[in-house]
Amino acid sequence: MKTFRNLAVGYDGSLDSTIAVRWALRAAREVDATVTIVHATGLLEHLRARYSPDVLPPELLGLAKEYAFDESRLRWLVTNGDACSVLLRMACAPVNADALVVGSRGEGKRDGLLLGSTSLEVAEHATVPVVVVPSTYVDH
Amino acid sequence: MVLVINGPYSDSGHEDIGHPERPERMVAAMAAVDDLGLGSELVVAESYTASRAELVRVHNGNYLDELGAFCYAGGGNIDDDTYATFDSWTIATYAAGAGLKVIDELRRRDDGVGFVAARPPGHHALADRAMGFCLLNNIAVAAAELLRLGERVLIVDWDVHHGNGTQQIFWDEPDVLYVSTHQWPLFPGSGSASEVGGRHANDRTVNLPLPPGAKGDVMLRAMSEIAGPVIAEFNPTWVLVSAGFDAHRDDPMADLCLTSGDFRLMTNYVMDCAPRPGRVAFFLEGGYNLEALRSSILATLSTALGHPQEDEPPSNGGPGADHVARTRQSRLVAIEMLRHSDETETP
Repeated sequence: MKTFRNLAVGYDGSLDSTIAVRWALRAAREVDATVTIVHATGLLEHLRARYSPDVLPPELLGLAKEYAFDESRLRWLVTNGDACSVLLRMACAPVNADALVVGSRGEGKRDGLLLGSTSLEVAEHATVPVVVVPSTYVDH
Repeated sequence: MVLVINGPYSDSGHEDIGHPERPERMVAAMAAVDDLGLGSELVVAESYTASRAELVRVHNGNYLDELGAFCYAGGGNIDDDTYATFDSWTIATYAAGAGLKVIDELRRRDDGVGFVAARPPGHHALADRAMGFCLLNNIAVAAAELLRLGERVLIVDWDVHHGNGTQQIFWDEPDVLYVSTHQWPLFPGSGSASEVGGRHANDRTVNLPLPPGAKGDVMLRAMSEIAGPVIAEFNPTWVLVSAGFDAHRDDPMADLCLTSGDFRLMTNYVMDCAPRPGRVAFFLEGGYNLEALRSSILATLSTALGHPQEDEPPSNGGPGADHVARTRQSRLVAIEMLRHSDETETP
């Protein structure tokens, strides 16, 4: 079986996406893989930019330290688009992720609704394996 | 002029307090129509709800079912940008129906200019997904109806954001020519010059990306020098315009620096693409500064009607002139690559 070398994980600041980043960092550390954390810049973010493309958010830097993750193998991307399209693009050049990691729900989503579920959309359209990390996941 | 609004739902129901895509946009649009002073020359036609049969020409049936059920369950956030309320399904189907109604009216009259003043906007809506404030792709639904009638449809999209939904829906359709001017890079991330259409529609997508700060002279130059020959060869029988006005310099959603005078020049350009009267319709897309929206709609519609009203002068002198040459080159390479791959795959 192929060993993952490059994971891409979506991050929007929500608890679920943080849990997904935790899973990705731990999994990547086990196999010496690279992690690309990507934030999708939607329409409204032009009015109130949340993240700089040049600065890894401190909370993510803190997670990297917590997991003793080699920062040289950590990439931070802020790119235009909706969360689903942006994560799907990570499977293409130049990132070429060989697996996509996503939280089970993004910011503002409600239980039991399929519409607007980034995880389902990504799973349906992805060309590489997708890991959906449940919100109940606890990293032991 | 034929004006179609999405009925009693234009200014209510689909509302998220504080969201820039808000009912007041319709008030500004209607104020611009009032400013035209058309009197009895203004024909106001009532919209109707687009049927499922009309919607499934461009949208996935499962998506339509899901969107309807989502709204009737009370709605909520679909993504970070896009929301729905209990009323959104009704309002969105009226907005899609407004495009169909304007086509019907123009065909019947064989004269005039259509303006679909409806919301929510549509050009980001994909076949199977809502995004970018858009639930149903209003202009695509109208274009699909024209295709059914055997027409060749030019869609000019001058919203500041690339109309990824419209491009996706007609990607491989040879009887639709999609031409988009937009800021790039910007949401939704698509719209590079190298996106030229599918195997059966090579060169039927013309993307004209412009850098932040670009002004009207560069946009018009890109249209005339790059899109112009493609439009002439395509020889459209109808022209539909995704008329977003968020490329205006006062709009908060992007960084292009157009004036209402630039929309006047762009309108002149698209009117010249139509084969005869009664074959041009403008569909409201974006535009979030209400003053800029009102003055830009007034400049657009008054020009389309042949009586341009006083407006801001056209802008010029911004960046992007070098982009025009690069865009042309990127397109040529992409068109040749697609043509070559087609030839090598043909048995």
